[in-house]
Amino acid sequence: MRRPVVIVGGGLAGQRFAETLRRQGFDGPLQMICAEPVAPYDRPPLSKELLAGVRSATSLRLRDDAWYRDNDVDLRLGARATGIDAHRRAVDLSDGATVRYDRLLIATGAAPRVPAQLHGFDNVLVLRDLAHAVALSERLKPGARLVIVGGGFIGLEVAATALALGAEVTIVEAAAAPLCGPLGQEIGAWFARWHRSRGATVHVGAQIVGVSGGRAITELALSDGTRVAADVVLAAIGVAPATEWFGDAIGAPGVFAAGDVTGGSHWEAAVRDGANAARALLGKPLAPEPPAGFWSDQHGVRFQLVGDPAGAHMTTLDGDLDACDFSITYWRGNQPAAILLAGRPAELPSARRAIEMKRTAA
Amino acid sequence: MTLLPTVDTYACALHGDCADVAPDIFNVDGDVAEVIGTGPDDTILAAARACPSTAISVVDQATGQQVYP
Repeated sequence: MRRPVVIVGGGLAGQRFAETLRRQGFDGPLQMICAEPVAPYDRPPLSKELLAGVRSATSLRLRDDAWYRDNDVDLRLGARATGIDAHRRAVDLSDGATVRYDRLLIATGAAPRVPAQLHGFDNVLVLRDLAHAVALSERLKPGARLVIVGGGFIGLEVAATALALGAEVTIVEAAAAPLCGPLGQEIGAWFARWHRSRGATVHVGAQIVGVSGGRAITELALSDGTRVAADVVLAAIGVAPATEWFGDAIGAPGVFAAGDVTGGSHWEAAVRDGANAARALLGKPLAPEPPAGFWSDQHGVRFQLVGDPAGAHMTTLDGDLDACDFSITYWRGNQPAAILLAGRPAELPSARRAIEMKRTAA
Repeated sequence: MTLLPTVDTYACALHGDCADVAPDIFNVDGDVAEVIGTGPDDTILAAARACPSTAISVVDQATGQQVYP
């Protein structure tokens, strides 16, 4: 019997890989192995609509059962890959089974990192998958004291959702401002002020120097001397690619990789990556890379970034920061390197054109 | 029928949602989504809104105004 193309990982990259293979006419056997007990779903709403209870888990599914049936994709749920023998072209699964592959896509994504001081406590949660989101939402009762460690996009999105649910929210950010890395300190400082104005307590330049409690953390001590009481703690300091199970198998014959496991981070990269891995497998030319970018919803405002602010030496502002209605251009030399839109979705096409013209002219 | 959709070829990531919503208007068999036909305004708007990459802009041909995003 012909061995299948096997996809390990039930995220967006794996799903788009499967879709592209079928769309491009691949008619061989295709198996998708998902560690979670649910079919592939859309992750961005986990920190927003799902956490807020306005969308159900089933509404997040990328494709319904009929799609997998119609496209002859064998979906195996609740099985985690534990090891690989690239010579035998075999993957070991957590349920004891071994699957043989003709070609393999590694798309196991990334796992949230937890600071060492927070290991081993019952009330320290992370947010990456559906089960995490359900666990967090169960604890976000009105009045619950939520401490978010890490002021990145996930941390800030959860902060906004939790405030709307009536929780008391404290954000602890080690850098000089939230989102310092992707957006720079000046804009990061605006995010800190804005979240404070919406009711969050935001500590910046703050390390966790101690925790107290038994099985659950009841209080965190920060390097600025503050003590923060906690009912639930969210570790949101970033993710690490889930590479431990496959060692150095990427590069072995017939092995492809896509999505966050490759060290990329944003949603669009995973899509493009999954589709391109399928093209690579079929020997077709790769689709061009889109400009870098992301979006984030916080307190009902949509933020959209096009381009990469890294290395920009100045920013210009159009609009009103206080009203959350603005566009910020990051300049590198006399060229716009990136544009951040807040509450201006209609300007996205023109922002993309401005960044893309610069890119193609370079 | 006054609405005209355009696909931003750099932003399109071939999710295929537009073609799911409006198979007579969009085709995703190539490198990027293509506009292959036309249809009712609300179908065009629904397809544009379904795009996870916000790669579809919609202009009202009567007024020249961008109506989405």
